[in-house]
Amino acid sequence: MNSMKLKLIYPEEKIKEPILSKLCKTFDVDINIRKANVQENIGWLELELIGTEEEIEKAMDWLIKQGIEVSPLEGQVFTE
Amino acid sequence: MAKIKGLACKECGREYPIEPIHVCEFCFGPLEVVYDYEEIKKNISREKIEKGPKSLWRYIDLLPVENATVGLSAGFTPLIKAENLGKELGLKNLYIKDDSVNHPTLSFKDRVVAVALSKAKEFGFDTAACASTGNLANSVSALASSSGMKCFVFIPSNLETNKIIGSLVFDPVVVAVDGNYDDVNRLSSEIANEFGWAFVNINVRPYYSEGSKTLAFEVAEQLGWKSPDAVVAPLASGSLYTKIWKGFNELKEVGLINDKPPRMYGAQASGCSPIYEAFKEGRDWIKPVKPDTIAKSIAIGNPADGPYAVKVAKESKGDMEIATNEEIIEGIKLLAKTEGIFTETAGGTTIAVLKKFAEKGVFNPEEIIVAYVTGNGYKTMEVLEGHLKSPIHIKPSLHEFKEKVIGQTVKG
Repeated sequence: MNSMKLKLIYPEEKIKEPILSKLCKTFDVDINIRKANVQENIGWLELELIGTEEEIEKAMDWLIKQGIEVSPLEGQVFTE
Repeated sequence: MAKIKGLACKECGREYPIEPIHVCEFCFGPLEVVYDYEEIKKNISREKIEKGPKSLWRYIDLLPVENATVGLSAGFTPLIKAENLGKELGLKNLYIKDDSVNHPTLSFKDRVVAVALSKAKEFGFDTAACASTGNLANSVSALASSSGMKCFVFIPSNLETNKIIGSLVFDPVVVAVDGNYDDVNRLSSEIANEFGWAFVNINVRPYYSEGSKTLAFEVAEQLGWKSPDAVVAPLASGSLYTKIWKGFNELKEVGLINDKPPRMYGAQASGCSPIYEAFKEGRDWIKPVKPDTIAKSIAIGNPADGPYAVKVAKESKGDMEIATNEEIIEGIKLLAKTEGIFTETAGGTTIAVLKKFAEKGVFNPEEIIVAYVTGNGYKTMEVLEGHLKSPIHIKPSLHEFKEKVIGQTVKG
């Protein structure tokens, strides 16, 4: 099993959708939320995504397609 | 006795051994090196440092490295009393810390990479890696090649090759990933987890970032072992800014300076200012942005150390400001015209913000102010195209020279 530490940021219009619940039903991954701050106009979560490499990548792609900002926990690794 | 106690989580304080790890397994907070200052105090002195190598390694007692093996000429850059710029801004004791001439690749990144790769070698890594198209890639490629490490650089594939010539010359393996910067970030993170490589700002980040403290150490020594009243520094990930603060605090902690650490002023580009926005809105978390600025070297939309930078600005009684593209270019030109230093856009941002704060009357004219210039303008000359005077064209005739050149310049 692989795992990936991610930060997810929800735009306002996505806050009411059960995105993580759908994620776990659609892909063979587990999630372990470590930190979160969800308010009426924005939400962010720090979590671990656990599964095979392939399922993790599919799950990340799906989250991005839902409009969620998905970044590795390191923040923006890329500089310049 | 060891100078380092270990790593500790910046959020929950949980302790970890000195290993190539960077995130707390419990709360996912970033890990930071913790020193035994009582022990360091016994070994460190101004005299010992002054007799040390003319590089950042003179401060090895306050760095997380036992044996300096990489980047032996990095650091020890000039601190210039900026009389002309000071006059322009009404500041009598303005200094420029000039890392545009840092060795070997002309930006402050040579400091952090020297520390990261020296530590990586201690850990037994033989491969260095980073995701960058600019200063960081230049530095990792150069220092990996001179220290005999293998090197991988990750970039988005739609990038023009001429952007990375300054790295390619050192012969790293450049991996062009189909996707945007976010995709490269995610892949880099996955690779860092899986391969035994020193990914400079991922798994060896706690050590890497400590290199920026030397920007504080050098300034204090160059001022005659004192802290300036205020500093202005660029904000990208927030790491450099927070480590400059940590550096001055450490010097006080071990008794090398007596005065209080400086007020910390931070500079961001208006096209990428998530830390500034959090600071102004009183938020302790960062809302990521999509960068749109000419200041590419500081355009980090999701800055990892942003919340800590906000904290430092508050704690030090400093402030933050932003500069537009036009103001950044004016900042580059102002520094060049007054002090003969050609910096890139991050330096232009810092100078533009310094000017704004000076005009607002934030500084007392007698105070010692240090502005950090972190990179070299010769690397990104294209940003100035169309913003500089054109040459005066004449025929090879003395008459025309007198009429068009002397006439114009005397009149003008």
